Amino acid sequence: MADYIVEMKHITKRFPGIIANDDVSIQIKKGEIYALLGENGAGKSTLMSMLFGMYEPDEGEIYIRGEKVKLESPNHATKLNIGMVHQHFKLVSNYTIAENIIMGMEPVKKAFGFIPVVDIKKANEEIKALSEKYGLAVNPTDLISELNVSTQQRVEILKMLYREAEILIFDEPTAVLTPQEIEFLLEIIKGLRDNGKTIILITHKLEEIKRIADRCAILNRGKLIDVLDVATTSTKTMANLMVGRAVSFETEKKPANFGEVVLDVNNLNVMNKQDFRIVKDVSFQIHAGEILAIAGVAGNGQVELADAIAGLMPVHSGTILLSGEDITNMPIRQRTLQGISYIPEDRQNYGLVMNFTLSENLALKDYFKEPYCHKGVLDHREFFENSERLIEKYDIRSGQGSETIVRSMSGGNQQKAIIAREIELDSHLMIFVQPTRGLDIGAIENIHSQMIAERDKGHAILLISLELDEIMDCADTIAVIYNGEIQKIAPADTLTANEVGEFMMGVKKQGKREEASV
Amino acid sequence: MKKENKIFNAMKIPLFAILCSLVVGGIVIAVTGSNPFKAYYALLQGSGLAPKSSYANYKSILTDFFSYVNYFTPMIFAALAVAVALRAGLFNIGVSGQMLAAGFVATVVVGYSGLGAVVAKPLVILIGILIGGLAGAIIGFLKYKFNINEVVSSIMLNYIFQYVVSFLINTYYVDPVSRQSVEVSQAARLTLMDTLVGNLKIDIPLGIIAALLAVVLVWFLFEKTKLGYELKAVGYSRSAAKYAGIKVGKCMVLSMTISGMLAGLAGVTYYLGYVGSIQPKVLISTGFDAIAVSLLGSNNPFGIILSSMLITMISKGSTYMKSVAGVDAEIASVITGIILLFSACNAYIRWMAEKRKREKNRNAKEEK
Repeated sequence: MADYIVEMKHITKRFPGIIANDDVSIQIKKGEIYALLGENGAGKSTLMSMLFGMYEPDEGEIYIRGEKVKLESPNHATKLNIGMVHQHFKLVSNYTIAENIIMGMEPVKKAFGFIPVVDIKKANEEIKALSEKYGLAVNPTDLISELNVSTQQRVEILKMLYREAEILIFDEPTAVLTPQEIEFLLEIIKGLRDNGKTIILITHKLEEIKRIADRCAILNRGKLIDVLDVATTSTKTMANLMVGRAVSFETEKKPANFGEVVLDVNNLNVMNKQDFRIVKDVSFQIHAGEILAIAGVAGNGQVELADAIAGLMPVHSGTILLSGEDITNMPIRQRTLQGISYIPEDRQNYGLVMNFTLSENLALKDYFKEPYCHKGVLDHREFFENSERLIEKYDIRSGQGSETIVRSMSGGNQQKAIIAREIELDSHLMIFVQPTRGLDIGAIENIHSQMIAERDKGHAILLISLELDEIMDCADTIAVIYNGEIQKIAPADTLTANEVGEFMMGVKKQGKREEASV
Repeated sequence: MKKENKIFNAMKIPLFAILCSLVVGGIVIAVTGSNPFKAYYALLQGSGLAPKSSYANYKSILTDFFSYVNYFTPMIFAALAVAVALRAGLFNIGVSGQMLAAGFVATVVVGYSGLGAVVAKPLVILIGILIGGLAGAIIGFLKYKFNINEVVSSIMLNYIFQYVVSFLINTYYVDPVSRQSVEVSQAARLTLMDTLVGNLKIDIPLGIIAALLAVVLVWFLFEKTKLGYELKAVGYSRSAAKYAGIKVGKCMVLSMTISGMLAGLAGVTYYLGYVGSIQPKVLISTGFDAIAVSLLGSNNPFGIILSSMLITMISKGSTYMKSVAGVDAEIASVITGIILLFSACNAYIRWMAEKRKREKNRNAKEEK
């Protein structure tokens, strides 16, 4: 028994209407990289949240180093040398790296011999040494707000190491990184294993598992399907087991058939709240039947660009034309009616009213129109019928159907609800921002084929994504944004992933912009 | 069947809070050396919900009951005012000030005018809605235009109304004997005072009809109308509401205006209904108690009727409780405070209940 550092036996966890984990047992050896693979809502994150003490299992037992434990809180898990890097980083942005890392266990010295103060000098030195030991180059005195995403992630890793974590849980660590950064992270993870750490990797990216994991557990709808030896299993087999059916890796796509110009953006400039020009002189066109994808590292102005087109952010200068009509200063509601669908990056704060029911959310863009609303009075029966229809058509799963409070639904199903609502608007222009972030292969495949189907119907699609694979798979035209500027616009088949990656990092510069339309 | 279950579920926790506070209040009363059961019964008697042992001339249980209705009518309006703002994510802590402003303007314009009852009474209501709505709209507008926190601006407005009104009363409208404002004419009064019905003299509160109507209207607004849907969306998530194309600023101003209108109605039913004059420099506690009453009623308009009745019953019955059970009237305020405290613990009680349920389920399973 002693060779297993973590054992979770017969774990069952229920949430209202859903069994998140159903009699799951896994055993993890010391010093291995153990991957957890599964679709959204398969129960990977729930399982790990229990190991990290955030939930208690309804049934089952957890053994750490052969000893039965009842994990009551993340603090308790930390004491048992378990650490977790969450999908959304938990950092204080106006503190330095060192201050973030030591928070909660600050080294203390006595000023004048009796007043306790934080010994920040010592902390800085310790962290410097720690980061050098594991090859995670950071400067301890930098502010978090000045760091890019991948450095912030390194801070999260250092935070675990500072707490002497031996068992490191990574929740979807590569979701927000560029190809080059992913490369670097995978090396770091390997390095951690070689230093004797045990790694648990939650992911649904098969190539990553193939590259670094030793073993892989596959979950489907809360049940453990299989535990595989990664070296002897093909990615195809893993994908099929995870989804529960055969999946195609290639997104099927007919050649594009461009029509009229739908969206015409001219010299657009957008200021952010700090009055910083975050979108700089951006110009492009999207035709009916075209998917234009904007590639870029997070925070380079692509979200602000989408917000400005949808009307959530004011335009500083430049124009936006939709089907020839100037919408630069039009209110949001009117833009929607004019023909814009918008799937926002931030689903929980923008895409949905989390405390509304599913049926109320599915009508968020139509509630004021007939038949939902008649002379200011709502018809709840119409809300219900619309919602039942969309639930069926888009396979939205929830505990109590139309009456489910959206907050209680899984992230993947929340996203399905937004996509269902926005596609049903049947708009000329559909903006998809990070539509598949955090979703599993089955759902991604689904969203991609829906997006392409809308393109084939003659809609113009603006896709903004941090995932290069997604862009290479779906786009007809690729625009690369760096520092708020479009570096390059070209037909997708003239660019390779590596070239796009270089433009994204601002390494390669394009003097003259090529015309996008073919 | 399912619907009834829902209603019961919504009421379970407030009822539990009330039960807990009655037990705690009972202990307090027992410690002071009185009989808690007798004291509680006296509260019912004082509010006309249980018969007293003897009545004076022209008085009966009915007189007491009508007087009690007269007393809780402003509370219903005030609690609705709080609830409407809360649903849209705003906190109207200025209900008392808005009540005072509306009550004062109605007193000066109609109460001293000598207009006939048929004109005066509707005019009082209208002025209440208008002035209250205006006061609310100012707060909403400040929030929308200058992003001034509504809590700060409504507290400041409370002070402004309180001192301006007391200055005007002391300068122009003071009754030298009572040291309050001169009493309003009977024609303008929303309560028909000492009306002879059979052999009883009863105060008939006309405001209660308007209050019940307001309850239904507020319920309809939030459950059935487009505007209600928009206000709720803004209350839950301003960013998502904006994304949906809802005009967030307009909704905030509107919800504060509606809230202010209800507060104005509370003001006129109090100052020109229950009492007939205004005491200078005093901001009544109704507007603050209303926050807790609204919470106790789960911000639901129908729940608010019940919680207003309960909270006001305790203060209304306290005089009689003192004379019969020998419990100081201050104890009544203590009990009110305890109820409100427990109802504020709603979320904690709910969490405890759920935790217990889960443990019970688990134990049941293990026994199998």
